[in-house]
Amino acid sequence: MQNSFYEEKVSQIQKSFKIDEKYERWKNSTLADWNKKTGYREKNYTNSSDFKIKELYTRGDLPENLDEVLGMPGEYPYTRGVYPNMYRGKLWTMRMFSGFGTPEDTNKRLKYLISNGETGLSIAFDMPTLYGYDCDNPRAEGEVGKCGVNVSSLADMERIFDGIDLSKISTSMTINAPAAILTAMYFVLAQKKGVNLDRISGTVQADILKEYIAQKEWMYPPEAHIRLIRDMLVYSTENVPKWNYISVSGYHIREAGSSAVQELAFTLADGFYYIDTGIDAGLDVDKFAPRMSFFFNSSINFFEEIAKFRAARRIWATVLKEKYGAKNPRSMQLKFHTQTSGYTLTWQQPLNNIVRTTIEAMAAVLGGTQSLHTNSYDEAWALPTDEAVKVALRTQQIIAEESGIADVIDPLGGSYYVERLTSEMEEAVYKYLDEIEKMGGILNAVKKGYIQKEIAETSYRKQLRIENMDDIVVGVNKYVEEDEKPINILKIDEIAEKNQVKRLKELKTKRNNEMVSRSLDRLRDAMQDEKVNLMPYIMDCVRNYATIEEISNVGREIFGEWKEPKIY
Amino acid sequence: MNINDIVNGILAGDKRMIARSISLIENDESAREAIIERIYSHGSAKIIGITGPPGVGKSTIIGNLAPMLAKTGKVSILAVDPASPFSGGSILGNRIRMQEALSRYNIYMRSTSNRLYEGGLSEYSWDIIKVMEASGSDYIIVETVGSGQSDLDIMNIADITCVILAPGLGDEIQAVKSGLMEIGNIFIVNKMDREDSYMAIKDIRETLNMSNKADIPVIGLNSLTLENYDRFVKYINDWEYQNKYRRNERKIKQIIMEKIYRIYSEYINNIDSADIENENPYYAAEKIMKNVAGQKFGYLEK
Amino acid sequence: MESGKNQKFIKPPIKVLLAKPAIDGHDRGIFVLARAFRDAGMEVIYAGLLPTPEEVVDTAVNEDVDVIALSLLNGAHMTAFKKVMDILKKRGINDIAVVGGGIIPDEDKPKLEKMGVTGNFGPGTRLDVIIDHVTKRALEVRELRKNEYK
Ligand code: B12
Ligand SMILES: Nc1nc2c(ncn2[C@@H]2O[C@H](COP(=O)(O)OP(=O)(O)OP(=O)(O)O)[C@@H](O)[C@H]2O)c(=O)[nH]1
Ligand SMILES: [Mg+2]
Repeated sequence: MQNSFYEEKVSQIQKSFKIDEKYERWKNSTLADWNKKTGYREKNYTNSSDFKIKELYTRGDLPENLDEVLGMPGEYPYTRGVYPNMYRGKLWTMRMFSGFGTPEDTNKRLKYLISNGETGLSIAFDMPTLYGYDCDNPRAEGEVGKCGVNVSSLADMERIFDGIDLSKISTSMTINAPAAILTAMYFVLAQKKGVNLDRISGTVQADILKEYIAQKEWMYPPEAHIRLIRDMLVYSTENVPKWNYISVSGYHIREAGSSAVQELAFTLADGFYYIDTGIDAGLDVDKFAPRMSFFFNSSINFFEEIAKFRAARRIWATVLKEKYGAKNPRSMQLKFHTQTSGYTLTWQQPLNNIVRTTIEAMAAVLGGTQSLHTNSYDEAWALPTDEAVKVALRTQQIIAEESGIADVIDPLGGSYYVERLTSEMEEAVYKYLDEIEKMGGILNAVKKGYIQKEIAETSYRKQLRIENMDDIVVGVNKYVEEDEKPINILKIDEIAEKNQVKRLKELKTKRNNEMVSRSLDRLRDAMQDEKVNLMPYIMDCVRNYATIEEISNVGREIFGEWKEPKIY
Repeated sequence: MNINDIVNGILAGDKRMIARSISLIENDESAREAIIERIYSHGSAKIIGITGPPGVGKSTIIGNLAPMLAKTGKVSILAVDPASPFSGGSILGNRIRMQEALSRYNIYMRSTSNRLYEGGLSEYSWDIIKVMEASGSDYIIVETVGSGQSDLDIMNIADITCVILAPGLGDEIQAVKSGLMEIGNIFIVNKMDREDSYMAIKDIRETLNMSNKADIPVIGLNSLTLENYDRFVKYINDWEYQNKYRRNERKIKQIIMEKIYRIYSEYINNIDSADIENENPYYAAEKIMKNVAGQKFGYLEK
Repeated sequence: MESGKNQKFIKPPIKVLLAKPAIDGHDRGIFVLARAFRDAGMEVIYAGLLPTPEEVVDTAVNEDVDVIALSLLNGAHMTAFKKVMDILKKRGINDIAVVGGGIIPDEDKPKLEKMGVTGNFGPGTRLDVIIDHVTKRALEVRELRKNEYK
């Protein structure tokens, strides 16, 4: 039988590895003798991906075709970075994920961050908004503004961005199930502020596959959400050229418990699925692939993360070129946002988290990220205070402007260890991609719960490794202190919920309800025809101040709801 | 709360009492016998067995079927999950897929662990079903563990056994065929939205025909769109065979086996190996068995 | 792989309902607990995502669990846990123990205790601590149920 594309890649990589006799000799004589004499720390040296880590890497670990797989910065296969000048051209965007309470609270936080040197906006929404419920839904009780900012209608978006020039700063929105609605709100908001759609830039997360996999925010069955993604993809490709209509996310997959390899493999599989979706919609891959962006996690095993980012670029470029026949270099360039890992941050001894975040942020920068969120030291306690979020932002600024880390492009390129890890990561990812393809593709694997099970398995193993002290977490299973002192945390005032509910009531009496129901009816009709692009219809609803729940309910009616597969 | 309250509760269909009585039945021998004593003559339900390999959609089908049956009678559901052979614990995961139907149609559903009992049901499934029956159920749907070919016990309990399959079972299908083909009164190919589903129907049809079971129906279902469920429901409603005799026989045999086993194991644990140290183990065992049988079950020996 | 870890040989096995009674998709922790409880020999039911407090109580009653284990990381515990407790109270159910956990600020813990939600463990809590607590609470309610069928 003929090898599949991915099997072929695996075998190419394996062929590029060779046995290093110098290392073997050293290990069996000099090192062994010395260990006998001095003793050594016995431990299972592995990383999150279960790779065996050697004590030393040598020239022999470099792949034979190093020059070919590395390329130069800004050149295929982009292992060393997507831009020729990287951070000498422009530093990464410092984008702090923010939002809480009322739109006004959030507006204030955004301005505070901008005044402290933040260079991009990133909005966190609250639970009702994330699941497409209005603030006055009984289910929303006690949840309004707690985990992010509440948005029930366009009026709330107007308040969030009050006094902010949408043509000057890019905005990222962490919204998925109702992504099309929030995108529509942002577009309409820009129009109302007199900014042409070709001048706004930003990203909407919108990656629904990883919702079923990891973040668990959905409203409809997968096919319905994927249609909405197709509609955003087509609409933005035609009308909003600087808009990243999707941010294919590994962050959540990792936080849900995956290893680095799983994060990368599942995320890339999702990415390829969206490429297929665009092609199936009749678009040329080189038209829409350049606006696809990614979002990765940076966790605590420093070198593993750096290797992951480098491997990500290499795989994306290779597959787009060789499998999808892309010709536009921009289609092959994987650009990504990074967030440091919240999971690694502890409730115990919270100041230690600043150090963890620093290490993780450095890995992201050394891995060539295009934008970065750094978590605050109070991560395991609550949403961050002004003080904590400032330290997190300053951490990035110190890395960028004091440390010299950003002065040289891909400074770890050529490192025996990093290059070897990059290739091993690549190999392991191709193996997973092959397996997923043979299961009938990622959507199938997700619906079956296979991907979720793999992650839950890794997550449980990680938990046991910590409990058994195979993995150390300072302050949690080692160097424990008995008297943890409470820290100052951000509290969300109950007033926020009351105010939002009151305002929504007012809105519903003030708006033109005739127009609202007419636009909702038109949306309902449009939804019935699979071929119709829904974006203009949703924008119409939004413009009439239809609420997020009213619009979502039309979909619930037409598409139905969804229940997760059994994981255990 | 005492045993009379519980029994009255069961007969009145009080869910909390039904629930509590099932726990007592599973965990407490004397309560079990006392409850069964008071309810065994009550109620008469059609018992619908749902069996088949893991993940074919058994729970989903029950979630869809239950509301349809609820139109003509009261429905209760029992779903069995396997216990971990290492810890004895288990994760009872069938409920999630039925939850919506349960809340909306006010259906009693119970998840139970097989506690390593073999055959696809739990040791006290009969008793639980009896409670559900006495509570006024017209239909009791039972989901087996779902280990495929070894879930055969359901045929001893259900009036109608529905074997669920789905396209893409791969090699598993052969193993399933050897066991489940014998016990099904109806075969369902679920997930008709998938490729190869017509092939699967054809395959099963042929296998049944070859073993002279041409009259057993094979129905394709799509559990996402509810396509063909009307045929399935009609078949269940038209089904008349009563399996009560076999059901009780199974229970009687089980009780006898359990009692014998308990007495023997008590005896085995008390064997004093000192006096038999030098004997041929075959001979020694024979002697002990005769002994205990003589003491405890004189009537067993000729 | 680590089946039998923290195993308690309690007969009959403790039956636990794990639930997140609000809009909260953080399920990593609850899956860890499900596995850990099973490996400790318990019988575990997971209510799935987004159950209403009513559904949680209905499930607990129908399944006759010893313990309801509530997990929320979204800051809604003061309203959502309270709803569950109110429904239990309204239905006169006092023989099911309720334990809680997740992201719960220190100042809320005594308030939850007062409502009857115990434990309220947060990030970094060892599984054996949690299992001990659940076991203790289960044995307490079993004491209440004793002799009821006599
Ligand atoms: C992982 C994570 C995620 C993952 C979740 C993946 C998944 N499927 O679970 C992702 C990235 C998707 C995510 C998303 C969001 N997250 Co989050 N997330 C976390 C994080 C970093 C770790 C949680 C975790 O899984 N820990 C590991 C597990 C094993 O531990 P655990 O759940 O805490 O459980 C342990 C104990 O707490 C205890 N326990 C827990 N429950 C129970 C129950 C009982 C009965 C008992 C006895 C014990 C117990 O036992 C466990 C073992 O020790 C926390 C911060 C932190 N470090 O804790 C934020 C955090 C919970 N997230 C937060 C927020 C705001 C969100 C979002 C709303 C962000 C947004 N606006 O988009 C979304 C919402 C997602 C959703 N659908 O609900 C906030 C909540 C703020 C608050 N409560 O005030 C936190 C605190 C971070 C922060 N400071 O901002 N998140
Ligand atoms: N495509 C498709 N998927 C279905 C259909 N019916 C069920 N499923 C899916 O199949 C998966 C398994 O369904 P369950 O109902 O849990 O299957 P089960 O047989 O009860 O599984 P176990 O109890 O684990 O043995 C779920 O993800 C369902 O959504 C169907 O008709 N078509
Ligand atoms: Mg099932």
